[in-house]
Amino acid sequence: MRMKKLSVIALIFISGATLVSCGSGVRRDPGHVYMPDMFYSRAYETYAQRDSTQFTENEAEAGRKIFYNNQPVAGTIAAGEDLPFPLAKDATGDTTNYVASKALANPEGPLTADQTTEIHRLYLINCGICHGAKMDGNGPLYNDGNGPFAAAPKNLLGDAVVLKMPEGQMFYSIEYGKGMMGSYASQLSRKQRWQLVHYIKARQHQAEGIPVDPADVADSTALAATN
Amino acid sequence: MIQIRKVTEKVGLIVSFIILMSFAQNVKAQDGKALFTANCASCHSVHKDMTGPALEGVESRWPDRAHIIAWVHNSSKVIASGDKYATDLFAKWKTPMTHFEGVLSDKDVDAILDYVKVEGAKKPEAGAAASATQGAGAQSDNTLLYVVLTCVLAIVAIILLQVNSSLKRLSNKKEGHPVIGPIPFYRNKKFIAVVAILIFIYIGYWLASGAIGLGHSQNYEPKQPIFYSHKVHAGINQINCLYCHTNAQYSRHATIPSVNVCMNCHMAITEYTGPKLFTAEGEEVDGSAEIQKLYKYAGYVQGQPWDASKAKPIEWVRIHELPDHVYFNHSQHVMVGKVQCQTCHGDITKMDEVKQFAPLSMGWCINCHRTTDVQFKDNGFYSIYQKYHEGLKNGTIDSAKGITVEMIGGTECQKCHY
Repeated sequence: MRMKKLSVIALIFISGATLVSCGSGVRRDPGHVYMPDMFYSRAYETYAQRDSTQFTENEAEAGRKIFYNNQPVAGTIAAGEDLPFPLAKDATGDTTNYVASKALANPEGPLTADQTTEIHRLYLINCGICHGAKMDGNGPLYNDGNGPFAAAPKNLLGDAVVLKMPEGQMFYSIEYGKGMMGSYASQLSRKQRWQLVHYIKARQHQAEGIPVDPADVADSTALAATN
Repeated sequence: MIQIRKVTEKVGLIVSFIILMSFAQNVKAQDGKALFTANCASCHSVHKDMTGPALEGVESRWPDRAHIIAWVHNSSKVIASGDKYATDLFAKWKTPMTHFEGVLSDKDVDAILDYVKVEGAKKPEAGAAASATQGAGAQSDNTLLYVVLTCVLAIVAIILLQVNSSLKRLSNKKEGHPVIGPIPFYRNKKFIAVVAILIFIYIGYWLASGAIGLGHSQNYEPKQPIFYSHKVHAGINQINCLYCHTNAQYSRHATIPSVNVCMNCHMAITEYTGPKLFTAEGEEVDGSAEIQKLYKYAGYVQGQPWDASKAKPIEWVRIHELPDHVYFNHSQHVMVGKVQCQTCHGDITKMDEVKQFAPLSMGWCINCHRTTDVQFKDNGFYSIYQKYHEGLKNGTIDSAKGITVEMIGGTECQKCHY
């Protein structure tokens, strides 16, 4: 009897070990699906590859194939979005429009308390990584020159040029990038970018000890809470 | 006595003067660094070409410091004067240098040049690589040990069983019982029964798990066209998930960032200097070579201005995929529900290669909807659920238990299938 028990135990043990060892390893294969025709979309999904015999992204082929490039029609403005920035990007080496942007006014009204909190959140996500959560130009990517990003980001609250910079020019830099900074037009909407400029200006006035312009931020208690 | 005191006083004065002087010298050297960081570092690095050229060895490229000071104060004037080196410089970099006339005095520029000289003599640090060598070897696998142990135990068990049976046979012989010839184990009924049951269980398990696994890709970890490490970006460098996956806030899709978002940082970050990288199989990856792959997609040549219109999309391999008959919306979960990315995507800040953390099965979705509380407070999206708000106020709904997603219809079929 005893030996039967032993043999049962040994066998269970061995089969258990094989089961476990089958489950290890890196899974590089997604596996299979039931009824692929119902699993994968018939409609063209975001990022899905289109049939190149029928579709084209090249406008010159528009007659023979279906022209579609995922872009809205030129001149489209999303509901609630601000009007496009009237100045084009300067050619390399030119600064005409960068200088001209000084004259442009911020089309966004003063930030409400909710907007201030939201813009602060967006600042931390998109700008804080380089310009620092405290706007001191020392975000985790620069980190006093010890981070991977070699160029020193501007100290938004301490750099004389940025403190004096008019709102339009600040927008130009966010829209098209400046120096080592890239364009943030794909990460923030125009409305958010203009509001962000309001927010930075208000924080600058605060840091300098100048009363915050009521055209930038209407509710300064919400602004103080974001420090 | 008096004379000695006078002498010591004089000596003391001189010594303190020298100490003060040396302090002043120190302050000046530090000034150079501070001035460099405040005025130059946005466009110039000591060792690396950025918007402007690397400043290492700048003094060997100009005839003397007076020329450099003139250039720093007003570069356009120097170019206009027809200086050969200055015009070539502008032709190469194409970006006019900011005028520092009135901002930086001659002495300031001197201090900066001193700092550049000292800093330029130092080799760029290679320290990061050394600190990274540990890590990969530490985590050894115990599976082999277990397998060997199992085999040894099994062999011992079989030997013992055989010894036992032969001893039994011997004792039977001795006591005069009729000896039944040894039955081979494969004809032993009990043995056959046990094996049959085990095979049945094994095949059953394999079939059931295979059937359940159909359409579910938990732990799927495909090779990507560029070895992009979320651990390096979101973990070590603390980049917010929403920096790249912006549309998780506004859209159904979290969206993969386009190449220009990569280039926001990688215009300046041209080399990988962090801890060593390994694929899931344990092969080492050269991070800097992976950045070069990005440049190929971006159509960017180092040292030249980047034309974003030359960029080609990177064909990342999709990991998380829901069937077409399920509707899922990122913005609903991220912005309204305030669900952390890690809840469904796992500890992404520790993954070099991303793998699917959640099973993404219907049971998994439903379980979460049953147990998760809706963030009702200060959440404009849920302001229309007046009955629940009143219930919470007058106590008919236990506010400690809260309102689950299920209570507001989160397990209705039509919520996701329509």
